[in-house]
Amino acid sequence: MHPALDRYDGLGILLMRGWSLSLLLLAVIMLSQAQADAAGVAVVNCISCHTVLSGRLGTPVKLWNSSIHAEHGITCNACHGGDPADSANAMSPARGFRGKPAATAVPALCGGCHMGVLKHYNESAHGRALAVGGPTCITCHGSHAVVSASIELINRKNCSKCHSYTKARKIKNAMLKTEGMLKAIDKKIAVLKVQGVDTDKLEKRLFALRNRFHAMYHSLDVKLIVQESDHIQAELKKTSGIGGVGTGPLVGALAIAWALLAAFIFYLIRKNLD
Amino acid sequence: MILLKKLYNWIDDRLGMREIINEKRSGYLLPSNVNAWYSLGSVLLVIFALQVMTGLLLMLYYVPDVDKAFSSVAFIMNDIPLGRLVRLFHAVGSSLMIVVLVLHMLSILFMGSYKSPRELHWLTGFVLLLMAMGISLTGYLLPWNQLSFWATTVATDGIGTIPVVGPYLVELLRGGKMVGFKTLGRFYTLHVGLLPAGITILIGVHLFLIQRTGVSTPPFGLEDTSNPWKEEKFKYEDHPGGIPFFPNFFLQDLISISLYLACFLALVFFAPNLFLPATANLPANPYVTPAHIKPEWYFLANYQTLKLFPSEIIGLIVQVLAIACVALLPFIDRGAEKHPLKRPFFTITALGCILLWIGMTVWGYYS
Repeated sequence: MHPALDRYDGLGILLMRGWSLSLLLLAVIMLSQAQADAAGVAVVNCISCHTVLSGRLGTPVKLWNSSIHAEHGITCNACHGGDPADSANAMSPARGFRGKPAATAVPALCGGCHMGVLKHYNESAHGRALAVGGPTCITCHGSHAVVSASIELINRKNCSKCHSYTKARKIKNAMLKTEGMLKAIDKKIAVLKVQGVDTDKLEKRLFALRNRFHAMYHSLDVKLIVQESDHIQAELKKTSGIGGVGTGPLVGALAIAWALLAAFIFYLIRKNLD
Repeated sequence: MILLKKLYNWIDDRLGMREIINEKRSGYLLPSNVNAWYSLGSVLLVIFALQVMTGLLLMLYYVPDVDKAFSSVAFIMNDIPLGRLVRLFHAVGSSLMIVVLVLHMLSILFMGSYKSPRELHWLTGFVLLLMAMGISLTGYLLPWNQLSFWATTVATDGIGTIPVVGPYLVELLRGGKMVGFKTLGRFYTLHVGLLPAGITILIGVHLFLIQRTGVSTPPFGLEDTSNPWKEEKFKYEDHPGGIPFFPNFFLQDLISISLYLACFLALVFFAPNLFLPATANLPANPYVTPAHIKPEWYFLANYQTLKLFPSEIIGLIVQVLAIACVALLPFIDRGAEKHPLKRPFFTITALGCILLWIGMTVWGYYS
């Protein structure tokens, strides 16, 4: 066989292998899209394609799956741009694809949704140090496995990456009580919810308070945090008073006692008749 | 008072109310050895009336639409004054209705009151039990929560095991392959229209039959405990020297009703989650199957029987045979003896069957 043909055959095998892989990939994509359609979820091609990829192209999806963004349906295009519904042009700059944002652009990008946080961040020492390599949102919250703001994020390991933990500890201590209250109310809401209590308004109110509180994490102003924590704690106390519907146990006990008394009276009357 | 008396006289002149009351006081006599078990029928009438009343109240706000059903029930429970109580009355009442119906039938069973000439009483009572289970099953789906959605899916799946027609019956009941908006529409129509009307008519027939034949004599405290009816022509079983229904036995009815209400209120106020577990308060999600989905407690024995046999058809045949045996009991047991201790074979068999049913229910619950 002519070496060129031999080379052609080798290429053919490679092409065949490539086609087989592509077909397999297509089948996986179609299956995942069908599943997404069946579940009534909008098809996000970035996830469909990258799920089956390995290495640095597949890892972000795996990380994203465990993120707070995934929990709330915030997908790749929210940060990276592009068109998730059109796989052929998904990564076209003409469709707004921006790829990996520059570190200095991250706060503004995140702040597009988290506006209150951006204001606090910009005014803080963290924000002011952005131009000289200061921390951005992803330094603490992660980039793909994004975690929501919580008191646990303020820890020696995270903060010591750049500076001493002393001031951060002060901030954390000032916030601990409020964070504890938030968690306790969250648990209470979960309990009430499975008892049939309509917790919708309660959840929305708590959501707003939690956001207001977590936004302050970024100000790094201990005085302001203490002051705001006091306000929020007062609000939470009002919130924690809500809950439980229907009548109390006393009404129940009285109703049962009434029924038993009625039975006894009827018994006495019947006895008298006998 | 004078106005009320005038009104009473006005009605009496037209309907002869005094005559009915006097007849009930002295004319309608019950056996002198009548016992408290005989009052369970009246308890059931009160339960049914309570179910109708609370059901009507719930209908004022309930929306039979898959997108609104759950939120309308949440609205009733959270925003309507005493709405939670009304919903709990209805939910707990439906389960207790089955409990009392079963107790009523068991008392009839052990006292031999189903024997001739009361075969039709038993049959109508048995159909009433099936209808009560049907009305509970159809009502169970209406709140459109996780528990009701999946329990209905499991319960209707069972019907699919009937050979040939099973899948068609399931589709007819569901209005499609899956439990969905058509199922909700069908179950709602059955629950608030056809079944209550059917039950009301059948209660009327049942009471008419009792009125025509007279109340059966309990087999306790007597020497001769055999069935007094000897395949004769129609004869009203009277009880000379017995106790008047009004006021004597009516007071026993009131005692039983009050005691029932005490138990009912105890469950409503102190153990409502027994009938409304956590999954009953989460909206239905056809894509998320909760762990350990089971049908309502009164279908657990059937559910477990289906699971027990290697072939579902065998499980189904066993159930159909068992149901047929119970339904046709008066035609199978032709013996004259009514006292349970004087017919040990029957009593032991019946007790064995009851224990088996309880065992299968418990097994179904924990399986």
